[in-house]
Amino acid sequence: MTALAVTRLSMREAVSRRLVLIGLVLSAAFLLLFGFGFGALYSRAASEADSTALAFGASMITVLGLYIVRFLAALLAIFLSSSAVASEIDSGVLHAVLARPLSRTSWLAQRWLAFVLVTVGYVAMMTLAVIAIANGIAGYAPLNTPSAIAVIALELAVLLSVGLLTSTTWSAVTSGVVTFSLFGVAWLAGIIELIGDQLRNQTMQLIGIGTSLFMPSDALWRGASFYLQPPSVLVLSRQAGGGNPFAGIAPPTTTLIVWSVLYATAMLLLAAWRLRRRDI
Amino acid sequence: MASADAAISARGLHKRYGRRVALLDLDLDVAPGQVVGLLGPNGAGKTTTVKILTGLVRPTGGSAELFGVSVADPAARTRLGYLPEHFRFPEWMTGLELLQFHARLAGRDPRRDAGRLLDLLALVGLEGRGAERIRGYSKGMTQRLGLAQALVGDPDLVLLDEPTSAMDPLGRREIRELIRGLAGNGVAVLLNSHLLTEVELVCDHVVVIDRGKVLRSGTLDEVRSATLEVRIELDHVDQRVRDLVAGYGRVIAADEHEILLGTDDPEVVPRLAVDLVQSGAHIRALVPLRRSLEDAFVGLVGKEES
Repeated sequence: MTALAVTRLSMREAVSRRLVLIGLVLSAAFLLLFGFGFGALYSRAASEADSTALAFGASMITVLGLYIVRFLAALLAIFLSSSAVASEIDSGVLHAVLARPLSRTSWLAQRWLAFVLVTVGYVAMMTLAVIAIANGIAGYAPLNTPSAIAVIALELAVLLSVGLLTSTTWSAVTSGVVTFSLFGVAWLAGIIELIGDQLRNQTMQLIGIGTSLFMPSDALWRGASFYLQPPSVLVLSRQAGGGNPFAGIAPPTTTLIVWSVLYATAMLLLAAWRLRRRDI
Repeated sequence: MASADAAISARGLHKRYGRRVALLDLDLDVAPGQVVGLLGPNGAGKTTTVKILTGLVRPTGGSAELFGVSVADPAARTRLGYLPEHFRFPEWMTGLELLQFHARLAGRDPRRDAGRLLDLLALVGLEGRGAERIRGYSKGMTQRLGLAQALVGDPDLVLLDEPTSAMDPLGRREIRELIRGLAGNGVAVLLNSHLLTEVELVCDHVVVIDRGKVLRSGTLDEVRSATLEVRIELDHVDQRVRDLVAGYGRVIAADEHEILLGTDDPEVVPRLAVDLVQSGAHIRALVPLRRSLEDAFVGLVGKEES
């Protein structure tokens, strides 16, 4: 019966926060705006623009919209995980719980699972809604939505593992700032790598790849964004010479996926190791 | 050394936080059905001891077992209930939800336990309040809920760290009765409290610790009489008599007719009487004074300080 009691509680806790309620209201507003924007593109442009420009526009709006969704989910992941350990210990919430016949590793893993389910649930819901709207208005058909969601889920798992690791040591604010900084650094490195690709500058490419090893979040997003674009747009983007910082033109490599899984697992194990050694 | 029958068996516990030594060398034994009071001044190591027993803090030396299982193993906590000193419960939960959560963690099925959880709320004086959110609970109510939480797994050992600090005198009395009821059912209780009168009223055994080690442990009476005071009334007190009495302990006070002697050993009284008579002193009165736990505590800890 202890099975997943902590997961269930953590999910309810996450959802019970006002943040999630506000988030849902804002997300609804976001979908509304997206629908109007997308609709406007087709009502006015459809008559005059050529179909290539139109497909590019539709793809751009959709991918950017989903970039925002993924960004919000990443923020949610950082917010949830960075306040999950040290601040719970300091406030005394954990004392009675960890005095139960429950290993700290199990407690941490259950909490991680809860946060994965909440954040991935949010991303899946919003991604499907955005794609459905775009599809309803203009027959927008991305390459592979489930694959995109799976890769974003992996990115969120990575962020949650790092957030939990930093929160075993630092207070909520410090932990959140550190994790968010890593997320930001990865984004910047992604841009450097992209420009390096286009200029064939090997140093810039190495900076990007090195940083992705250190924090694979942005590389994962670019991989996910590949699946969110229609095949025709991808072909045109490749011919034009490359993607942009928001939308990649290649699927995530197997190396990246394997590395990210190992990375998330290692960070989570490290967090469990630190928590086990910590006095509460 | 440790038997599986002992609720708590700790040997040579040592804990260092950086440079500060919280526990030096602490032994502790608690048997089923015993109510043991853990006493000591602030910073003596009481909470550290309790946290080591609950697995929250790792000792830097020594070993501790609950029912024969090392505290390093989460399974040691299967039969344990714990009320922490400083704790907070998630405020968005209701009291009953909190108990259901802890029942699950304790390995019980809260749905089959539904009636029992309501009984538990009634037992700690929260009847009819289980559906309210913890956000609206007073300090005293939160502490009562904490106590119910400690009892939710039907434990054989309960560790209570300052369980009545937020309660009024009436509430304290209820909790005392509850603790006695637990002991009556064979549950071992380790009570950590600043309130010596409370310990005196509810505990049958007492362990006094200071600076991370045990100063004295035993039954309440043993510890109370551990630093006995004896009032000696004589016709005349001179230096020779004072020196003789001082050989049996500490002279706390003395004037021309009376000496107040502090000693650790109740057996000195008859020997002292013989010695005094043989020395030619005329004894008017020789009275071992009954002491409160507080006197004994101050005597023990004060002696340590000086």
